[in-house]
Amino acid sequence: MIKILDKVTEIIATNAKCKAEDVRPETELVALGIDSLKAITVIFELEEAFDIEIPNEHIQTIVTVDDIVNRLKGVLH
Amino acid sequence: MKQRVMITGLGAVSAFGLTTDEFWQGISSGQCAIKTLAPLEGVKISIGAKLPDYDESKLFSADELPLLDRFSQLAILAAEQAVTDAGLKNNQSLQAAAAIIGSGVGGKHTDEEGYKKLYKDNLPRVHPLSIPKGMHSAAASSVSKHLGIKGPVFAVASACSSGAHAIIQGSMMIQLGLVDVALVGGTDSPFPYGLLKAWDAMRVVSDDICRPFSKNRKGLSLGEGAGFLVLESENHAKQRGAHIYAELAGYGMSSDAGHITRPDVHGITKAINDALQNSATSPEEVDYINAHGTGTLLNDLAETQALHQVFSDHADKLAVSSSKSMHGHTLGASSAMELIVATLAIYHSKIPPTINYTEADDECDLDYVPNKARDKKIDVAMSNSFSFGGLNAVLVIKSH
Repeated sequence: MIKILDKVTEIIATNAKCKAEDVRPETELVALGIDSLKAITVIFELEEAFDIEIPNEHIQTIVTVDDIVNRLKGVLH
Repeated sequence: MKQRVMITGLGAVSAFGLTTDEFWQGISSGQCAIKTLAPLEGVKISIGAKLPDYDESKLFSADELPLLDRFSQLAILAAEQAVTDAGLKNNQSLQAAAAIIGSGVGGKHTDEEGYKKLYKDNLPRVHPLSIPKGMHSAAASSVSKHLGIKGPVFAVASACSSGAHAIIQGSMMIQLGLVDVALVGGTDSPFPYGLLKAWDAMRVVSDDICRPFSKNRKGLSLGEGAGFLVLESENHAKQRGAHIYAELAGYGMSSDAGHITRPDVHGITKAINDALQNSATSPEEVDYINAHGTGTLLNDLAETQALHQVFSDHADKLAVSSSKSMHGHTLGASSAMELIVATLAIYHSKIPPTINYTEADDECDLDYVPNKARDKKIDVAMSNSFSFGGLNAVLVIKSH
């Protein structure tokens, strides 16, 4: 089982072109330069990585890295 | 009074290479860029003019590529050359310019990649950037962003006449005084698997080679590429001391309103006559015609008949050649690439040939400049485009 936080961190860091240590749970995505277009790419890559569907209503209120992790936990469990 | 429109920059990307110089070198020396393609299972088309050794990762950054279908990439490469050639790269006047970009098939690589995942690989999703990457206007948006062009920007689609219709749009904007500068052209990359199968099914692609106007012609050869021209009002060009290749003197447009694929002599004739009238040109003044010349039985015959009707006795004095025999049929890019050919033909006083011409046809009886380029001063040239769907566009350029 892939560790959720590790995978989220990896995907966000790749898309934001930043170091993994800059991606902390409380970090806001916009602070990393993740705009709406990059955000849907991040969600797409997470769906691919975990083989899941993340419903639109789960992503509309995402602000921080931790928000993503929590939504994923909700879908996975 | 209408503004006169000058051609001040050229940019071509073709199977001859990534530069206009390579393009003209190939065309003016009668080279054939149509080569054997890597075989694809179930695809009959075996030849085409595809960019050799094209590596997108060496030309664009990893940040840019997720939004650039191949047709947008080719557009950027050609458009950047055109504005650089015109001396307008990073120039203030480029900001207010128009960019009108024709494409016949648009972002098919992106569409097919997504559909393959869904229908063949049974995967549940496509990439989230599939829409902005694949949309027909993606090349227009990409060029606008890349060059900082903030005036009127949009895409034009009329199959194989797309580039010519885009050129006419830009020219009209300059004539109306809406813009001083218009970057115009076309781009297409017709080699994704599904599109090749569709061309296979139409049975108009040659299994031999493209031999326009030759009796043994067997159809067209597909090509990919992009052609862009910088159009500029005469006043603007002269004020900044721009180098002028030729004048875009006028144009004619018509629709056959008939058969979806069979060209109509009346429709073609109307577009040519309208172009002559619009450019205040008498038929006897025309020296060279860059023909639509696809190499299909029907097109080459109808085009020849139309030229006889319009030019009457002067038809025998015309030099008519099809550069598609060399760069392939690049669909929405073809008419823009061919206007570049005609422009450079005027500029260098050299008429490019129709290559692969091996057998005279009694019904196609004009001077097609067979196989070998000809040195000749050209004052007036015409470029013809007649698309599937019967959408015709004819351009007239004059030496300056």
